[in-house]
Amino acid sequence: MAEDQTGPATASELPPDTIAAVDGAGPSRHVPAEPPRPSVGLPLRQQLKHQPAAPQARVHDITEKFTKASSALNVGQLVKDEFFTLFESIGALEIMDPKMDSGFLQPGEALEDACDTVAPLLPEELIGILDQLLCYEMAWHTGYPLSQTLFTSVYIDRLLWPEPRTLEQAQFYRGPIPDERRPGLMLEVLRSYCLALVKCCDFVIAKITGRDYFEEEDFCTHTYSRVLFTQMPMDVFQRELDAAIERLQDGTEMEIDPTVRDAIIARLNFRKDFLSALDLECSLDFIDRYWPPVIANLDPINTTHQLGKAVPGAFSFKIQRRLASTVPPRPTVELDFSDAFSKLKQLCTDGEEAVRVMSLDPDPLEYQSFLWAFASRKPTPLPYSRSYLCTLLFQESSVSIPLSDLKSLVFPCSTILDPSNWALSPPRNPMMPKPHRLRLAHLIDEFVERAGQAYLDFWTALGQNRCRLRRMLNHVIIGWDQLQHDAGFVDDDLMRVVGEMGIQDQVIPFPLTTWTYHKKLWMIEKIVLLGFEQDIYLPDEYAGMYLFLSSVSRRRNALLQTVLDHFHDRRSALLHSDAHADAQEVQDGAQYITSLLHEASGIRDLSLALSGFYTTLLYLRLIPRPTRPFSTPQLRDELRMKPFLTLTPQEMFPFPDLQAQILPYGAYDAPDSRLWEDLRGEEYWRDIEGHIKGAKEAFAQVKKLGAKAARAGGVEGAWGKEVQGVLASCVALGVEVAGVRRAVGWGEGGEGEVRTKVKVEIPGEGGRYSGGWVVGRVGRL
Amino acid sequence: MSGANNSTDPAADELQYVQYEAAKEETYLPAIRQLISKDLSEPYSIYVYRYFLYQWGDLCYMALDPTNSSLIGVVVSKLEPHRSGTFRGYIAMLAVQESHRGRGIATKLVCMAIDAMAARDADEIVLETEVTNTASLKLYERLGFLRSKKLHRYYLNGNTAFRLVLYLKEGTALKRPDAEMGPVGDYQGLGMPQTQESV
Ligand SMILES: CC(C)(COP(=O)(O)OP(=O)(O)OC[C@H]1O[C@@H](n2cnc3c(N)ncnc32)[C@H](O)[C@@H]1OP(=O)(O)O)[C@@H](O)C(=O)NCCC(=O)NCCS
Repeated sequence: MAEDQTGPATASELPPDTIAAVDGAGPSRHVPAEPPRPSVGLPLRQQLKHQPAAPQARVHDITEKFTKASSALNVGQLVKDEFFTLFESIGALEIMDPKMDSGFLQPGEALEDACDTVAPLLPEELIGILDQLLCYEMAWHTGYPLSQTLFTSVYIDRLLWPEPRTLEQAQFYRGPIPDERRPGLMLEVLRSYCLALVKCCDFVIAKITGRDYFEEEDFCTHTYSRVLFTQMPMDVFQRELDAAIERLQDGTEMEIDPTVRDAIIARLNFRKDFLSALDLECSLDFIDRYWPPVIANLDPINTTHQLGKAVPGAFSFKIQRRLASTVPPRPTVELDFSDAFSKLKQLCTDGEEAVRVMSLDPDPLEYQSFLWAFASRKPTPLPYSRSYLCTLLFQESSVSIPLSDLKSLVFPCSTILDPSNWALSPPRNPMMPKPHRLRLAHLIDEFVERAGQAYLDFWTALGQNRCRLRRMLNHVIIGWDQLQHDAGFVDDDLMRVVGEMGIQDQVIPFPLTTWTYHKKLWMIEKIVLLGFEQDIYLPDEYAGMYLFLSSVSRRRNALLQTVLDHFHDRRSALLHSDAHADAQEVQDGAQYITSLLHEASGIRDLSLALSGFYTTLLYLRLIPRPTRPFSTPQLRDELRMKPFLTLTPQEMFPFPDLQAQILPYGAYDAPDSRLWEDLRGEEYWRDIEGHIKGAKEAFAQVKKLGAKAARAGGVEGAWGKEVQGVLASCVALGVEVAGVRRAVGWGEGGEGEVRTKVKVEIPGEGGRYSGGWVVGRVGRL
Repeated sequence: MSGANNSTDPAADELQYVQYEAAKEETYLPAIRQLISKDLSEPYSIYVYRYFLYQWGDLCYMALDPTNSSLIGVVVSKLEPHRSGTFRGYIAMLAVQESHRGRGIATKLVCMAIDAMAARDADEIVLETEVTNTASLKLYERLGFLRSKKLHRYYLNGNTAFRLVLYLKEGTALKRPDAEMGPVGDYQGLGMPQTQESV
């Protein structure tokens, strides 16, 4: 159990920077017994090379000292020093407890399972072993440690331990072997497969740990001091596989049923292509050619799985006892072949999808959409796939990311970003003032550099599992809040220069602040929507949380309206001075702003409608409200608003305002009489229905403008589905609101009567058109 | 829930609720261990129990059958300054004998623990529970806990958890991290599988 707990030592040795530190995203689990995680960016493989040799054991007899010291204590008296932490306690083992003490043997039990790794295998048994290895490999990919998966293979164990110095030494036996015991064809084939499989693991670990930031909870990089052929180049593994395939095809060594033989060859071919696709140095020029052959090999494996014959003795739970680990052996993780196969298929298709990032327009907004769509794929991409995408993306992005994002939002065709500004040289005489345009360039450079880290953090968050994405955005917005603060100063300088140049009317006021604030608001909206998606909020919190969301998107909408006005002004001015090409460029750019504007107003209206819907349900007592003897609404509001408390400007409602809005008729269980008057009137419902209508129209506009305008042209399909899902939520909400209204009209008896007629069900994530938009279903009783 | 209707079993309020006593470790600890480990896929070592009970025995409450003093339910907690800057209570373990579930015994034990922590000036109380542990979620949420985070693959068995939080004092959210104590981690609870089914 200790393996997944960070001792405090490890925690404090984390890289002291970035979000990792704040989120504590810290590798708290599966922390290698080796030195702590290397500093940012340094791949683990580096570290493996310098693994310190285990200190020489020396034996001290402490019996006497111990006896003497313990005589000072009563029997049963506990002693604890301050360095014994929870983590130590969890890591501690009880000697002679069969479940904890890895050296404890039941009477007659052998320390190791006997297995003859050079005993001949049948071709069917080979298939059985290969498929079982695949199951363990996929179990590892889904987050279980090697010790409970692939490292239970006695064959892999032989290959890796004692550590071979050359590939030649990596055999199922060590040292000299009589000729008649030499492994036959099936074992040679198995060896070539296992070697390549181990190399695949090496590549996977290197890719994942090569990211600046990865989630320990998703993926376990521990190799228990086994070296996964880190130093050996890929082609030697390919050659082993080729040789094995050739010998099988040759067919003179051994009589094999052709179907079985082809099934084995398919597995070898798959392994070969898979290894190439995982290669760290695979060529970016041909990056789209790696996954299709892997995918083509999958079906032949699946359809021939039943030819295999299981060889239980090829795997042993007891190998864990010999792995360098402080934890007791844990059960082997069994993943069905069909589950493993679908994971594998997913891994490959996600890889193929990730490659498409290379063909996108080099536009950070397109990348952002791509990252978002990738993270939203179902089933959610495995950690390897996410690292794979991020590696591609980060090595691709030579464009100045923040700069071109800035241009899209606030600097349409602007003097401020005119490339010629950067071509000017400072005056020879330092006493002379710098040219205005050069000063503009310097100010922008200063800001872009400052924004770099915030931007990187933002993208890093987009590459995490969804739970972590939400938690990480909570921290990322704090960075953007500070950036917004700094942007204010640069904006002041910028506006001064612009003023001196007499071109104020060409520049939107406070452009950098506007840009930063917009991004921050977008993230806050996502945080709330992800909260709904992940069922963080309880139903009786919905009214308040959707209200908060609507207030954030209202601000974003207002900001975008100013931006759009600026685009229109620019276009008119450019047309006026006959700069038709520039005017056209501004007009094209305005499409993006228009799309954002509609999206923001759609979110505002839909969340307002939902807030009204849930407030109504609360008054009708159709939503459960826990009694909560230990809590108050104010304390809960503080907890909910914690990530936003320090933001400037203040985003959340002051508590009394919030109360006034979600409790418009007083307490839910003692509303004032106006409630029923209003519920039976027109106006109450007209408001809610009006918001639904507004949302529907806004999202219809977004859809009509299309993926390209939203800068999601590269993921048109996924984007379209997302918009469609929100539209469907609007329609569904319309239906449910009508249902409530009808129920209210049925009797004169008040909420008690309504409750006898209808009930509300909150659909789980699978039952929603869109994860973040929870539309309760009103059903008749 | 087996035995829930068995009228010979004592009801929640007929049980004896007592605070743990270090002097009686030999009587209590084996029973506590046995009760807790029933719902774990792998046992905690005795040191985990001692870690809590040695330091915060007064935050451990037990429900005993008055007829034979057998252990029916237990809650184990701790309370200490947290890296985030708050004085934080943590409910580490909670279990009730299967035959006695669904009668408010756990609720009563948790209330006693919360009262004790509140009396000792805790800012907040947190815990983790599996997203599928309906009984536990319902119990804590009824008392006032909110879900603050979802933790993917929190437990060794690969299951996902919710972090639940109860603020006891205003201003808790604005307390600032104590730099001396290092980064704040999400994965530093017990991270243990809590129910048998989910192994
Ligand atoms: C969780 C546990 C301690 C609850 O003990 P308990 O004494 O039955 O709890 P209580 O009776 O005080 O309250 C439980 C609530 O959950 C409800 N509940 C129980 N099982 C439920 C289920 N499967 N689905 C929905 N609700 C359930 C009960 O009805 C009760 O709510 P109610 O009073 O509104 O009816 C007990 O189930 C247990 O020991 N589980 C195994 C260990 C565990 O999961 N510990 C918690 C880890 S944080």
